[in-house]
Amino acid sequence: MTTNRLAPSPVTDRGRAALAPPSGERPGDRRAVAGLRWTGRAVRLLGGPLAAVAVGLVLLAPVAGFLLVAISPRMFGQGSAWFSVAAFRSALTGSTLQALLNTALTGVGAAVLAAAIGTGLALLLGRTKVFGGGLWRLGIWALLLAPSYLEALGWTRLVEPDGVLVQLFGVDAGWLRSLVMGPVGVIWVLGSRGVPFAFLAVSGVVAGLGRDFEDAARVHGAGLWSRLRITVGMLAPGLWAALAIVFAEAISDYGVAATLGADARFPLATFSLAASVTNFPADYPTAAAVGWLLMLLVVLAMLAQRAATRGRSYAVLSGRTRPVSQAPLRGWRSAAAQGGLGVFFLLALGVPTLGVVSASMLGQFGALGAHNFTFDNYRQVFHQSALLAPVMLSLRLAVITATVALVGGVLVARFLARSGGKGRGKAAGLLDLLMLGAVALPSIVLGAGYIFTYNLPLMNTLGIHIYGTLTLLTIGLLAGALPAASRLLVGSFSQLQDSMLAAARVHGAGTVRAWSTTVLPLVSRGLLWTWLLTFADRFLELPLASMLYPPGQAPLSVGVTKLIVNYDFGVGTASLVVACAGILLVIGLALALFRLLAPAGWHRLEQR
Amino acid sequence: MTAAVMGVAVGCGSSTATTAAASGGSKPTLVVYSAQGYDQAVVDAFQKSTGIPTKLVDDSTGPLLAKVAAEKSNPQWGVLWTDGDEGFAALDQQGQLLKGYEPSVKFNAAGQAAVPKDQSYIPTGVTMAGTVVYDSSKTPTPPTSWQDLLTPAWKGKVGMNNPAVSGPTFPFVAGMMNLLGGEAQGKDFYGKLKANGLHVFPTNGDTLHAMSTGQIQVGLIQSSAGLGAAQTVKNPNIKTAFLKGVSLLPGVIGIDGRAPAAVQSEAKKFAEFVLSPAGQKAMLNGAPGSDSLYWPVVQGVSPLPAMPSLNSVQYQTVDPYVWGPKEAEINSWFTANIAK
Repeated sequence: MTTNRLAPSPVTDRGRAALAPPSGERPGDRRAVAGLRWTGRAVRLLGGPLAAVAVGLVLLAPVAGFLLVAISPRMFGQGSAWFSVAAFRSALTGSTLQALLNTALTGVGAAVLAAAIGTGLALLLGRTKVFGGGLWRLGIWALLLAPSYLEALGWTRLVEPDGVLVQLFGVDAGWLRSLVMGPVGVIWVLGSRGVPFAFLAVSGVVAGLGRDFEDAARVHGAGLWSRLRITVGMLAPGLWAALAIVFAEAISDYGVAATLGADARFPLATFSLAASVTNFPADYPTAAAVGWLLMLLVVLAMLAQRAATRGRSYAVLSGRTRPVSQAPLRGWRSAAAQGGLGVFFLLALGVPTLGVVSASMLGQFGALGAHNFTFDNYRQVFHQSALLAPVMLSLRLAVITATVALVGGVLVARFLARSGGKGRGKAAGLLDLLMLGAVALPSIVLGAGYIFTYNLPLMNTLGIHIYGTLTLLTIGLLAGALPAASRLLVGSFSQLQDSMLAAARVHGAGTVRAWSTTVLPLVSRGLLWTWLLTFADRFLELPLASMLYPPGQAPLSVGVTKLIVNYDFGVGTASLVVACAGILLVIGLALALFRLLAPAGWHRLEQR
Repeated sequence: MTAAVMGVAVGCGSSTATTAAASGGSKPTLVVYSAQGYDQAVVDAFQKSTGIPTKLVDDSTGPLLAKVAAEKSNPQWGVLWTDGDEGFAALDQQGQLLKGYEPSVKFNAAGQAAVPKDQSYIPTGVTMAGTVVYDSSKTPTPPTSWQDLLTPAWKGKVGMNNPAVSGPTFPFVAGMMNLLGGEAQGKDFYGKLKANGLHVFPTNGDTLHAMSTGQIQVGLIQSSAGLGAAQTVKNPNIKTAFLKGVSLLPGVIGIDGRAPAAVQSEAKKFAEFVLSPAGQKAMLNGAPGSDSLYWPVVQGVSPLPAMPSLNSVQYQTVDPYVWGPKEAEINSWFTANIAK
């Protein structure tokens, strides 16, 4: 990792903050200052490599461990060959190949859909005064929390023969069924799940754009469409970040693959991968080969991203940036905006709600009938004392993971954003690829990678005993969260102009002060959102948790799954709903506190 | 660096692995990997009764066996406990199980049928795979033979789970192949079933839902799922019927063949406890709406009142050493040809 002299990395800042005398520098004490400078330089020199090693241990080792299984099964006791490409042959034939092609197609579809809708939402909510803006934002959070399988379940329940459409409206829409139970349905569900990611990635950039560029365009006589074109052009870093992250998230989703995909007989790669691992004897080499191919898809996506943003700078956020003004919408524009928002949220949130209602409030396994409606399952949730310890554990894990991921995310995002401006370095490219690759690998793969790597007898010899502990579970959760966190922050950081920091330093501010008064206010909201997003996402994480939780210490998601597996579908789903409501409450509180407690200046650029 | 920081932050550093706690004269921790609904109740009762520190990892059968396979080079479990013995036969063939041990109890006929020749795992209870679950208010006359399912009367009215997703479905698929005389005949049967409009759903919940909405009239699922469904939704009309030749599905315990002797001795005590009256009581009360609906394999223990007499069921036993090694191949065939 390289460091930038003008703007030291946050690690350096923290190193200095701990060492700096409380009253700041005194001009007389030169020796102390020299000592501090030397320490600062050492931290600056070592900070990068140390961070790289940490990221390497957390991310690289397990991913590499797992991927090695594809070519050397014997190394991890998964076969007889030290070197073999048989796993790739089996991954590239028959139904697995078809599943990979389907995955690539739906990934692109979902990414484009999510980026389009997410950008629309970001522009609408960020630059116009639309009625009920806060409510729509809350809707986006709710969207983020609803697991993909609930939306898939909702759609299935809606269109199935004798389903909700038939029961309530007497419509047996065969055409809609065949549309939903196929590629279109899968793309819609994956895309709508991706909208919050796209929205967050783009809206950070929208907020930082200010109104200068639009004003300039207006002065030169540009109409609505020309101004929109200019704005969207400048949104490119956020837009590409959104496309890449949604693509990677979509191709690694298992919830839709196992429900809608399986029901619709539309095989997806994650389904083939999970099937090869969970059938006995487990075929890890083939699963690893599918993992390689999913990563290859990500490489292709990144090449596209690089080709599109190469050689351009998107540093638009300077000391002179003025806050965005939100234009009020009137007449047909307001009606169209409200209508569009309404339709989108009805489909994206209403349908999963239907899934929830069907699964948790209807007795008789979700069959619709006059006397079936019941809150029994919810009453039972609050009598499940067995879930209390798992709730507390998951809460602790989510808070720690979100906090560490935020710090790591800032380091990575700054690194990626800086090298991006100077003709992206090889190290940055590799790190970026690794992070996105980790997103594209389904969690079950990541979990297996951790077991392979940290359970090797070699690790015992080295004295590393972290498999089967909360430490490894936390590292695993972090590895799953770090890529998304950094990706979300890259958008905000790539807009920062170095000149602001330089100006602060010229005016005598120390590094800490310069950073906290120029950079922090500009990215504060992005940081808060990233923390909340990671917290919410990790609180109910299942595949990694179930692979890595320490014996006797089950997190909430594992406890809930046990209920569902033991045919207590109703109570299981009801506890999921209660957990999601709890998370929404935490998010609402955090956003309210930010509004109340953060200095007024922090809101200026971020105000709505 | 990050790991150390988080170790402090999470407040946990010590390993809970079976091998790690063996020092200092104290009893090593027994780690139980289980997919049984009643496992927590049994583990608690065992710990209370013997004082042996015991920790549980609970998951569905598929992911649990995936975890066991991933740990192959350095197993962390002392006891493995799931429904279905095919996986255990495969583990035995890989040399991962302790051979030559069975608790000194009097097994009944079903129990004896499930004990393997090399005594590498221990049956703890039995259920049936592929029973006929139906709603008698909507379907007064259910099918009475496997061939019935291929007739026009049942066209488009039968559903089952995909064995690649639902763990206890493979014993049913393999069982039909065994019953009909071989893999080819079995594949032919499923091909005809598909031609007669078979619906394939991912798991029990989906199959039961399809039955309750009337998409299908008959679900072919594990007996404990059907009997449990009637209890969970308090609908006595949901009935479970057993066709002639239905497959015995034993729940079994295996002991890690490479665990330290102290851990293996604790694991043997665990198996003995499970088959003791106290252990059976915990199994029968631990998951009354699901896995507790099994037939005991030791003489003198009665099943729950909701269970029909085992004598009334004309079941077959399926050799796991023949069918276990074919699981991956058969499941991918099923996904590609029948679930399609």
